[in-house]
Amino acid sequence: MAGSIKDQVAIVGVGCTKFGDNFDQSFEDMLVEAGFAAFADARIEPERVEAAWLGTFSPYAGNGKASVSLADALRMYGKPITRVENYCATGTDAFRNAAMAVASGMYDVALVAGAEKLKDRPMRGLGWEGGHPYQHDGLTAPGVFAMAANRYLHRFGDRFGSGRAALAKVSVKNHHNGAMNPKAHFQMEVSEEQVLNAPIVAWPFGLFDCCPTTDGAAAAVICREDMARAFRDDYVLVKGLGLAVTSGRPWYDAANEYVGFAATRAASEQAYRMAGIRNPVAEIDLAEVHDCFTWTEISNYEDLGFCRKGEGMHFIGEGRSALSGDLPVNPSGGLKSFGHPIGASGVRMIYEVVTQLRGQAGGRQVRDAELGLVHNLGGPGSVACVIVLGRP
Amino acid sequence: MPGCKAVVNFDEDSLTMAQSAAWPLAQSGGVEALAFASTTAPYWQRSAASLIAAACDLPAQTATADFGGSLRSGTTALRAALDAVAAGSVRTALVTAADCRDGAPESAEEALFGDAAAAVSVGSEGLIAELVAAASRSDDFPDEWRRDTDAHVRSFASKYSLTRGYTENVVAVGRGLFEKAGVQPEQIARVALASSDGRAHLAAAKALGIPAARVEDVRAGDIGIAGAGMPLFLLAQALDRAKTGDLILALAYGDGADGFLFRSMGDGARLQADSATIEYPTYQIYRKLREYWRTSGGGAEISNVLLRREETQNVRLHGSLCPQCGLLQFPIAKVCGACHRHGGLIGKALARRGRLFTFTKDFLYNAPVEPTVMAVVDLDGGGRFLCQMTDVDPAAVEIGTEVELVLRRMREGPGDHYYYWKCRPAPAGTGS
Repeated sequence: MAGSIKDQVAIVGVGCTKFGDNFDQSFEDMLVEAGFAAFADARIEPERVEAAWLGTFSPYAGNGKASVSLADALRMYGKPITRVENYCATGTDAFRNAAMAVASGMYDVALVAGAEKLKDRPMRGLGWEGGHPYQHDGLTAPGVFAMAANRYLHRFGDRFGSGRAALAKVSVKNHHNGAMNPKAHFQMEVSEEQVLNAPIVAWPFGLFDCCPTTDGAAAAVICREDMARAFRDDYVLVKGLGLAVTSGRPWYDAANEYVGFAATRAASEQAYRMAGIRNPVAEIDLAEVHDCFTWTEISNYEDLGFCRKGEGMHFIGEGRSALSGDLPVNPSGGLKSFGHPIGASGVRMIYEVVTQLRGQAGGRQVRDAELGLVHNLGGPGSVACVIVLGRP
Repeated sequence: MPGCKAVVNFDEDSLTMAQSAAWPLAQSGGVEALAFASTTAPYWQRSAASLIAAACDLPAQTATADFGGSLRSGTTALRAALDAVAAGSVRTALVTAADCRDGAPESAEEALFGDAAAAVSVGSEGLIAELVAAASRSDDFPDEWRRDTDAHVRSFASKYSLTRGYTENVVAVGRGLFEKAGVQPEQIARVALASSDGRAHLAAAKALGIPAARVEDVRAGDIGIAGAGMPLFLLAQALDRAKTGDLILALAYGDGADGFLFRSMGDGARLQADSATIEYPTYQIYRKLREYWRTSGGGAEISNVLLRREETQNVRLHGSLCPQCGLLQFPIAKVCGACHRHGGLIGKALARRGRLFTFTKDFLYNAPVEPTVMAVVDLDGGGRFLCQMTDVDPAAVEIGTEVELVLRRMREGPGDHYYYWKCRPAPAGTGS
């Protein structure tokens, strides 16, 4: 039987660095900025944190390896710290583990931090790390999702006209939202023509169909629900969460239809069951979803149950996921515009949803936001984590 | 010299070409020996024949041998195979020969040399030609050579080389064969005579008393002078065109000469040419990139433990068949991906043909030729496979395209070549 931690854990403080080319900041600098911002937001002394979880995907130059990366950054010694790595679902899975530890009664107050320093490295874009040395040679992060997008467009593209134009609308929307976000990597609008005419990275994805490589860190302080009011009135509760893992080698699975992600479907079912959500599109007020590539966001609409498989291009085309739509998706600007420092992204999404639920999102504020969803999708669509957050 | 020549793709070498040529013959089964011949083998020490045998999924008991050193290494290997079969040592032997010789930039060789491979199956049943006589001649005549330290062929190009070297040797072996078999030049229906320059073979045939009309076009103007693979390629061409009962004279030059007299027994060989054309400036850029790709060592070293453990899977291309639900999966597995049965899965060779299920054209991946096409392939008879696509115009790639799997050089490691499978459009008319 699946247990529930609904309404048992509260988020009382969040912090986030500016995302972007943070050439003047080290991995530790970013963790310090995000971590102490979260402490200040929670009005808490760092010493009160009893345990911490660090989400970081790819260690580099001595940073990001094991729990010491967080301990040394915050000079937080002698406490239980766990490093989490679960592909691009790293940040949300770190949060999930911390929330379950607090719900278990083991700790009253815990810190979740996510950080990634990608721009120190001599590389363009993200390669495909850790795959078989030559079986997977030739794969890149955009290529992996592009193979799924091409199959999707082959199957559904003709029904709704030009698929690439639908993909471009995701980019236009997320850049529009990000232009109102002072912490976003790219604070600029783009036009559909710009997106469609950009150089191709991995067909059908052009440059503006891909999220950037970005530096950043984000953090959250969580505590037992019955303690939350001692920190602040406008705390946010964990309503539901789920994690699901499918094959890390989906290209070998002959039964895989290759038009979406079963991991997202399973993780969201877990989270919805815990949160008591029956009709996600009607009940959820905003969603921060994993738009690593424009088509991924379209598949997410379907896999998260906002619409049926194959109808995601309608969902974006009709403006339903716009800030003014009935279910605004990625009001922050998403990975596309906010940037995607891998281990940081999930925690950054939590930062955005908390900001929205508190009504502090300024020009990109979603009206009457009561319930928000966070979604990460990692690997070749293999690891999905869904978290539902709500006002008390 | 006007015309064109055959050149390898950036991911090919003599080993991969020879494997491609051998594969259709290896599939007929019963092969007990495999010989590889080349002057441009990718290794000084490591048997290309053994790797080719594994990639053709031949059993470990296969007798493998590597021939090299001379342009007639292909025919020397052929003679060894004919002798081995005649002696009853093996029932069926495969000979596969290939060369990719780079001439020095701006040299005559650069224009002349072409890349080609050919394979011959030698046995005593199901013959398309029978051996009438064989002869050889050894002659240490250094008109063309390459030291162990040389990247390009060196030559002493003069009329003396042609007359004293080429003509004298092939004519002597040809006449010796006539004598041995008791045949007259007029009885020869076709001559497969490898040439060192695209012309000399005609003069040699004339000296043997055979008119130019019966001499196989050496394809110098569209394939080029193709090294160790050339004599076997010309033999295949002659067999393709021969009528039952035709006598075929096959001659190869190189530090002496080898010669064979065959009698055609009908059904011909199978020639296959790729037809993508590139212009000379592109070729030059492409050659530089190929050299860079081959020498930059951009890839990681791969554990020899892993390579050996996965040979059945990655070189022989076996997957696992579930006896319970019938799922054929790759890579080799201990647990069925469909019914989750644990244990008892059966090793099974994958079909090397299939259709594109999906793909992408990736410009981010760093490769000599952009974009890199990554393909997910549904193999005939089951199993889904991921690989790069090669030998293809990216504009022509679409879901449903019929493809075949071909062995290719992957990203060069710091100290080794790595070979794995790619797919390419299946040649027309070879449907499974």
